[in-house]
Amino acid sequence: MIEARDVSVAIDKKRIVANVDFEIRPGEIAAIVGPNGSGKTTFLKALSGDLAYTGRVVLNGRELSAMKPVEAAMVRAVLPQATTLSFPFTVREIVRLGLVGGRSGALAGENARLPERALARVDLDGFAGRFYQELSGGEQQRVQLARVLCQVWAPVLDGGPRYLFLDEPVSSLDIKHQLIIMNIARDFARRGGGVVAILHDLNLTAMFADRIFVMHRGRLAATGSPRDVLRDDLIEKVFDCRLKVGVPPAGNMPFVLPQSSVS
Amino acid sequence: MVDQSIAGPAKANASEGDRSGRARIVVLLLCLGLAIAVMLSLTSGASDASAVNVIGGWLVGIIPGDAALNARDSLIVYDIRLPRVILGMLVGAALAVSGAVMQGLFRNPLADPGLIGVSAGSSLGAVAVIVLSGTVLAPLAALLGTLALPLAAFFGGLATTLVLYQVATRGGQTSVATMLLAGIALSALAMALTGILIFVADDRQLRDLTFWSLGSLGGATWAKIASVGPVIVLALTAMPFLARGLNALALGEATAGHLGIPVQRLKYTAIIGVSAAVGASAAVSGGIGFVGIVVPHLLRLLIGPDNRWLLPASALLGASLLLLADAVARTMVAPAELPIGIVTAISGAPFFLWILLRKRGVIDL
Repeated sequence: MIEARDVSVAIDKKRIVANVDFEIRPGEIAAIVGPNGSGKTTFLKALSGDLAYTGRVVLNGRELSAMKPVEAAMVRAVLPQATTLSFPFTVREIVRLGLVGGRSGALAGENARLPERALARVDLDGFAGRFYQELSGGEQQRVQLARVLCQVWAPVLDGGPRYLFLDEPVSSLDIKHQLIIMNIARDFARRGGGVVAILHDLNLTAMFADRIFVMHRGRLAATGSPRDVLRDDLIEKVFDCRLKVGVPPAGNMPFVLPQSSVS
Repeated sequence: MVDQSIAGPAKANASEGDRSGRARIVVLLLCLGLAIAVMLSLTSGASDASAVNVIGGWLVGIIPGDAALNARDSLIVYDIRLPRVILGMLVGAALAVSGAVMQGLFRNPLADPGLIGVSAGSSLGAVAVIVLSGTVLAPLAALLGTLALPLAAFFGGLATTLVLYQVATRGGQTSVATMLLAGIALSALAMALTGILIFVADDRQLRDLTFWSLGSLGGATWAKIASVGPVIVLALTAMPFLARGLNALALGEATAGHLGIPVQRLKYTAIIGVSAAVGASAAVSGGIGFVGIVVPHLLRLLIGPDNRWLLPASALLGASLLLLADAVARTMVAPAELPIGIVTAISGAPFFLWILLRKRGVIDL
């Protein structure tokens, strides 16, 4: 379980994230949504150990600030929004970097084949020999996800759940690959891991998230299940635009329909 | 469902995108190349002394009673050529590996100790010791003996690298433009301070100093190897341990950390290693440029940017190329000698321009 209590982050003395409480249990996908600049990425960076924060962040019972990089790397893998590369690495060389920490959790002897298998999962079969820098943005994003999957191949290691931190994992993907990636996340959670994903597509969020954290101006505006959180009034207020949330009678998945005029 | 046998991807080659096999072969070839370069260097020179005879004699000489060595040849090979060859290998390897490490650290293929002022900082340290060891720095020189020169060069390089890193890196991202501009400023500053020292130097010191600006392996002695050799060997031994971390660093500092790399420790080890290697090299051979940028770049074209192969390959190719450059420097205008820095600059500078031409539009300042 990951627990964040009263987390605040300031950059250059400006408060970007204020007093956020957050938690995720194994088996769950937690989505963080909110308008641009609401502090989602900054919060995820604090959770990843990239930024100094006040408050507490506890990963599987251990305080994050007391963990060494290699210890944190065993518990969670992080997919950043975009990754630029300075040298001409091949796709295989990039994906293999996921194994650099050494605890993928795969069976002994399987590690050598993980890059191939991870690439197949993100629908990049046959891309291993391509140069990363020559791929499209969406393909690069999926290569990075394959690398992240190698790092925490087994969702549970030594009895402890592991986590995927995904910052806008589907923002540059077509709809088929959005679904593929979100299903990878769901599968990871079902097998005992946890997923924290920053998402912009509220419908995708409704479809996949077990719990939604809505951020607004650096604070937590609401939290709960999709049905609790995706309400006209709340979403309209947070995103400052007009939309309708509907719940089809047959299923219980809300959907969000934006209206053409702003506010 | 689309028939996978038609629409599915071609069966992936199990080693596709894996260049370690090729890297292994290149490293083997480079070992061979280095051996050839060593033989060439031992056998060529202003004198016609034959290293083959000497080495043959040395091998045979192990057998007691057989000492059919030409004493003059032996002297030339043992006391003049061999130290020079060893020093050339050490300096060439040090400069090339330092270049590769620094490029990995700054995440930029243009980072080079010579280009961004680290060598200038080292030279300043060394020149300060040469000029001031009789006066202001006398106690220090007395205390450290022959180590004063390499240590001063080391701290000169270290100080420059640290300042450079502080100026050019913000929030884990290194700005290339800032790095190059800061390098120019630091070089200018170090050279100006060196200029002041040259201004106050006496004639004997001036002669010593001349070779700093041009670079030379001419003064190679066993004593010099004893003073800087251990530093360079230590740095060269330590730096390959950074390879995995530097690979991860190519994805950015934050991502390297997420992968479990202790990024701060990696950065400081790299900076200290590079400063030690470059400083020690500058202390014995002056300013030899372009090895650190040309060698890793050539090798990246051949075997890719994986530092686990790039660093050892750079050491081998750097050592070989510097030996060849030194052979050219010794024989071009024999019996006189060209400073080796001129040879590396004449061949390296156009190469550097070629890199820029090839990369046009990609280098994002």
